[in-house]
Amino acid sequence: MTSSAVDPAALELELVRRRVFLALFIALAVALHTFEVLLPNPLPWFRIGLANILALTALFLYGQRALWIVSLTRILVGSLLLGNLFSPAFLLSLSGGLSATLLMSVAYRFCRPRIGPVGVSVLGALGHAGGQLLIAWLLIVRHPSIWMMLPFFLLFSLISGMVNGLAADYLLDALFKHPAFARLRSMGEKEAI
Amino acid sequence: MRRGGWLQRLTPFDCKLVVVLAVIVLLSFLLLLRRGVGTRVLVTSGDRTLFVADLSVDRRVELNGPLGTTVLQIADGGVRILSSPCSRKICIGMGEARHPGDLLACVPNRLVVRIEGADAVARERGYDFLSR
Repeated sequence: MTSSAVDPAALELELVRRRVFLALFIALAVALHTFEVLLPNPLPWFRIGLANILALTALFLYGQRALWIVSLTRILVGSLLLGNLFSPAFLLSLSGGLSATLLMSVAYRFCRPRIGPVGVSVLGALGHAGGQLLIAWLLIVRHPSIWMMLPFFLLFSLISGMVNGLAADYLLDALFKHPAFARLRSMGEKEAI
Repeated sequence: MRRGGWLQRLTPFDCKLVVVLAVIVLLSFLLLLRRGVGTRVLVTSGDRTLFVADLSVDRRVELNGPLGTTVLQIADGGVRILSSPCSRKICIGMGEARHPGDLLACVPNRLVVRIEGADAVARERGYDFLSR
């Protein structure tokens, strides 16, 4: 871990920088979550999930714990800002977010060296669609015809998942050059905050 | 450093995963959107059931609503409204209904034509008592 060559002050600076970056990720995720509501939507439940780009970036820079922190904080604070905390829309958002985060962290945990941001993102997007529809069916619309929407949901989230994954990959490329993640780059391995 | 096309940003594992998931999505389209065949037609007016018939038997039916007589045609496993006394003829424009859950409605003449599948018929036979 800390070899004698590493200056403790430099290490401290790096850790502080990484914490600041994580806070920025959460703030940006909340902003994107709120911004997406303003976008015109063809259908009520189709969302691109731009905020997930930040959760993915955090996962690949910090590890699974950061993924959970960014996702859950984003949903809670975002809903608070939108004024729909604990409403049905919030429940859908939370259930989708939980199942997406669960799938993403499991995929990261077990397939890590081989799976990239795009793979994790696509799994998360499909998990989001599935979890959301499941809760919608259980709590809101108790009618089997709601499952007729599932294929359209899945197709849309497959595409948006790929787009988000690519965006996260570009962002990761840019961030790896920053001094805050210099050690990460040299080690080639992730370390929890 | 990876440069160039966005496809190069996918690891080989990612590519396989995306292909597998795409196949699953396509399969879900096929499974969920494959619609059953209607077995019978049901015509209701308000709470009353006016008419029930098997879809496999071709026939023409005249039904009486508050406005007058609506003519219904059953042919080739589908139902369409041939003529109606209503003013805007929307029910005729709705075309043909043949899958379970399909609906034709003439609101002015208070007629709702519904198609039911084999599962609805079986469900009805399966219960001898139903309480809500």
